[in-house]
Amino acid sequence: MNDGLVKILDGNTFVVSDERGDIEASLTDPTGLFSFDTRFLSRWVLTVNGERLNPLSVDDLQYFETRFFLVPGTGTVYIDAKLSVIRQRAVSTGFHEKLTILNHADKAVSLEVRVDAGCDFADLFEVKDALKKKGTYSAKTERRKLTLGYERGPFARATEISASAPARYDDKGLTFKVRIPAHGEWTTHIDVVTGLLGAGQAPLERQDPDRVLARMRRNLERWLDEAPRVESDRDHLRATYRRSLVDLAALRFSPPIAGGQALPAAGLPWFMTMFGRDSIFTSLQALPFTPELAATTLRALGDWQGVRSDDFRDEDPGRILHEMRYGEMTAFEERPHSPYYGSVDATPLYVVLLDEYERWTGDRALVRELEVEARAALNWIDEYADLRGTGYIWYQRRNEESGLENQCWKDSWDSISYRDGSLPGFPRATCELQGYAYDAKVRGARLAREIWKDVELAERLERDAADLKRRFNRDYWVEDDEYFAIALDQDGRQVDALSSNNGHLLWSGIVDKSKAKAVARHLLGPRLFSGWGVRTLAAGEARYNPIGYHTGTVWPFDNSFIAWGLRRYGFKAEAAEIAAGILDAAEFFDGRLPEAFGGYPREQTKYPVQYPTACSPQAWSTGTPLLLLRTMLGLEPQGEHLIVDPALPSDIKHLELLDIPGRWGRMDAFGRGRVDVRR
Amino acid sequence: MAKAVDPTAAFFSELATRSHDPLLRKASGATRFDIVDGRRIRRWYLSIDKGDISVATKASGETSCIIRADKAVFDRIAAGKLNAVAAVLRGDLVVDGDWRLLVRLQRLFPSPPRRRRK
Repeated sequence: MNDGLVKILDGNTFVVSDERGDIEASLTDPTGLFSFDTRFLSRWVLTVNGERLNPLSVDDLQYFETRFFLVPGTGTVYIDAKLSVIRQRAVSTGFHEKLTILNHADKAVSLEVRVDAGCDFADLFEVKDALKKKGTYSAKTERRKLTLGYERGPFARATEISASAPARYDDKGLTFKVRIPAHGEWTTHIDVVTGLLGAGQAPLERQDPDRVLARMRRNLERWLDEAPRVESDRDHLRATYRRSLVDLAALRFSPPIAGGQALPAAGLPWFMTMFGRDSIFTSLQALPFTPELAATTLRALGDWQGVRSDDFRDEDPGRILHEMRYGEMTAFEERPHSPYYGSVDATPLYVVLLDEYERWTGDRALVRELEVEARAALNWIDEYADLRGTGYIWYQRRNEESGLENQCWKDSWDSISYRDGSLPGFPRATCELQGYAYDAKVRGARLAREIWKDVELAERLERDAADLKRRFNRDYWVEDDEYFAIALDQDGRQVDALSSNNGHLLWSGIVDKSKAKAVARHLLGPRLFSGWGVRTLAAGEARYNPIGYHTGTVWPFDNSFIAWGLRRYGFKAEAAEIAAGILDAAEFFDGRLPEAFGGYPREQTKYPVQYPTACSPQAWSTGTPLLLLRTMLGLEPQGEHLIVDPALPSDIKHLELLDIPGRWGRMDAFGRGRVDVRR
Repeated sequence: MAKAVDPTAAFFSELATRSHDPLLRKASGATRFDIVDGRRIRRWYLSIDKGDISVATKASGETSCIIRADKAVFDRIAAGKLNAVAAVLRGDLVVDGDWRLLVRLQRLFPSPPRRRRK
């Protein structure tokens, strides 16, 4: 991996180590064994006769297991090494490490093999913000194990370390005295088990690592088998698709409440948890491939839908959560994430996903099951989100200490600006939120009419949607340059910068037909389009910066929805151009698109410059190639059928997507590249 | 003003007056609440059948979930002053049994007292 860190994971348990397999974390460093947002190992260092080891190679076997080939000694010595060390590690409830030492010499050796172990039990939030711990630590050694513990009042977490071979355990690790015959080998299995929720009450459970591994391997195989197949003359497309499927499998997360079902978490390492927005967007991207992710997302987010008014959590009745966390700071209400509700797009998008899911799968039972939740979400838009009483969704956090300032997807402090670079006050009504609200009402109306059999609600939603569309096209339209302002400020004035949000508006359908052409022209124009994709903020705006997080970088996820929006308004060639740019970029990242890359013009850099970020893979970047396959092939459910209307960039000679699941059973789609893109 | 009410007892007696709660329509199961008050354990049995609620202080049938807390803790939860999920993460509220039931039950606890901006 390009950051020199090796990451393996299963659900929200993951290990980040260096290329030797060692962990030497400081408080601010994101390495270690993490589970449920808590670090359960911050030190894990292997030595042989007091010497550190050197990496020869790392095999990423699967996302949940890896193998390190090591030799003792430093730098130039190792070619002559008489010993090899193999560490094979797999994540389970903690991790399992098989340690093998091979003696290549023709006489026996005696070795002291040592694993240093230690833990700071940091909350992920503490690692991100470098905060100090408030509880007390303990270490307990027994004949066959070492238990590291942390307690703060009733809050207790523990890590248990034990090995299959005889070892001497002390407070800081374990030591093996080993004698290996000539050309012989020595092996031990080390288990690191974490004490999760309810620690202190429930005993730590060690699972049989072989069975856990076998289960995970089977599960991944089944996941890959069940997904549609891609055939193309472009090898990199197939490779990118496979990378996306495997990464999406890795990012699946089963919250304790989902009954073993999985939904997409947001990203590794910081975001292995349920996020309303990210889980919904990723489920939308993956719908034609793995519709079951959407079903679980809808159920789990529905279970946690807000019911109270709680200022600390920015919770309202009907609101869909933003982020759930399980760590110490959440437990002590030093952070509001139990769960935190400070997002304003997740709630309308919840209804959008429910409708889109039914259009693909025909699963009316789920739409009935979630009727109360969907109605509450629709009600939230009108009753709780319209902070100014102007018929728009606004946001302003009520938790001013630890709540989120920007509650839309562009959540950094300077993402919403006027052309001159100044920032509006609060509340703010960003434009894409109004699009999502419009789409939620239109789709909600369909569900109400066809499935809930509530004509009155359907008619009201349709009237509201039409009214919203009319007002929006008047209030947000920047006349002099013909695009939609990024937001309205607290006085109802346009925050007039040109941004990628315009593409989400096409996706939502809120844009008047007469305005769509001008919007598409901007999206593919020189100020927004870099050649790889659409920039978050247009060149020429005062805050434009090609490596500004939301002020000029290109976000693959953003572009996938923009391409969908362009298709929705009939701009097939423009959608193909964006797909071509983003998929070309994917090739530079070995099929794994980053969260964002620089907005430099393509002809200037020739390759996409990755935005420095610790989060990879990230779910909605992973989902991007999937949605782009959909937009290129023009896949659209219509009644019981799947419409295929391909518009492919001409460098893709042919593309087949086989066994697309849906209400039609399984279907195939084919396309040939006929759209000349500019390159 | 009457003298301070017992928030835990008030919470359960208020629950008993709701015969059906649509927020719990997907929940079915019986939960035993063990509220530890010094040396005494006070028990309530809450059974839910697709949103139909009944509250008792005597057992009837099997329980699928046991929730245990000190009375001081539960008083605060019942008054909306402490978030039930945070209390679980902290170890103040101990859940033994079906977790999904807890996720549904946490909806029954009231909003915190509001800090109005105006």
